[in-house]
Amino acid sequence: MYDLIIIGGGPAASAAGVYAARKKIKTLLVAESFGGQSIVSQDIQNWIGTPSISGYDLAQSFETHLRAQEDIEIETGELIKTVSKEGDVFVAMTEGGKRYETKTVLITTGGRRRKLGVKGEKEFDGKGVAYCSICDAPLFGGKVVAVVGGGNAGLEAVIDLLPYATKIYLLQRSGALKGDAVTQERIMQDPKVEVIFNATTLEIIGDSFVNELVYVDTTTNGFDKLTTRETHHLDVQGVFIEIGSLPNSELVKDVAATTPYGEIEVDVYGKTSMQGIWAAGDVTNLKYKQNNIAAGDAIRAVLNIYDYLMYNK
Amino acid sequence: MITIYTTPTCVYCKKAKEFFTKNNVEYKETNVLEDLEARKAMVDKSGQLGVPVIDVDGEIVIGFNEGKLRELLRI
Repeated sequence: MYDLIIIGGGPAASAAGVYAARKKIKTLLVAESFGGQSIVSQDIQNWIGTPSISGYDLAQSFETHLRAQEDIEIETGELIKTVSKEGDVFVAMTEGGKRYETKTVLITTGGRRRKLGVKGEKEFDGKGVAYCSICDAPLFGGKVVAVVGGGNAGLEAVIDLLPYATKIYLLQRSGALKGDAVTQERIMQDPKVEVIFNATTLEIIGDSFVNELVYVDTTTNGFDKLTTRETHHLDVQGVFIEIGSLPNSELVKDVAATTPYGEIEVDVYGKTSMQGIWAAGDVTNLKYKQNNIAAGDAIRAVLNIYDYLMYNK
Repeated sequence: MITIYTTPTCVYCKKAKEFFTKNNVEYKETNVLEDLEARKAMVDKSGQLGVPVIDVDGEIVIGFNEGKLRELLRI
């Protein structure tokens, strides 16, 4: 029986693990893999204390810091499927049927890529449709590609593709890009990049691999607010989808309250609706999904868990 | 025989190689950015234009899936 099980492998989980170990809380950390969502970022410039670091190096530093602690058990390659309550005990079950018992749980499972949900997306996944630009951009040398999504992840995908693709369309649903101004400026200067605003992707078409993307133009006429909803076709061999994330909260859906978006509802200490379960980071309903915030919120949750364990000894 | 198809920038490829090294698993790495023939072989084997693709004695694993690799390698 553990005092605490931390579920996840991103910044929140790593920060929580370090603090839990230093408090000598009997802790197990279970992660499918280490790194979190920003592992695919080429260059992170806002991790405080570090002007520039790759997502991969940041992930390595989290894991190294965590493994430097003596008092923590770590399981990797395991996915926790459910967390349930049996009497006073919480039970975490893995996909493979392993069972762990604990007094408290901290959910730091983060988010996963949101899918577009259009025709052809699933069919051509890995056949021109890609979700990891830093991984797969080199395979699109000499090709024309589309990036869907004008947030930071979309802008970064464009940057990853610049050395390889001959032409990059950036499709944004609304009339303005959402990513950091610094990155916007950088991509706007490049003649290879063409930003298409008010573009809603309808379909991805191909034979064995992608060769076309269809979108509808939702630009409204300023005078009568009408839109022609004209359909356009782009000849592209790749579609990189970067439209945000969904919370990985399914494991607690039967024991803790979530918002309609699936985010776990927490209070200022990270407490969920179920006493004994805390959550922190991108999986929660707190606004602004950031590495720094996830780490800080997870630490606050662990300190609160420590108090709870002391009080309920 | 384990072959991992990679690109130099691919982080999940690095994670997979790290996992092999940590567990003393020998593997052959093929960089499909440079080796176009290998790229074709990877696409033929997996139907995938995405890395990593890992060939474990003919079993194709797409992406870095530690659980799946542990199962195939019995570690």
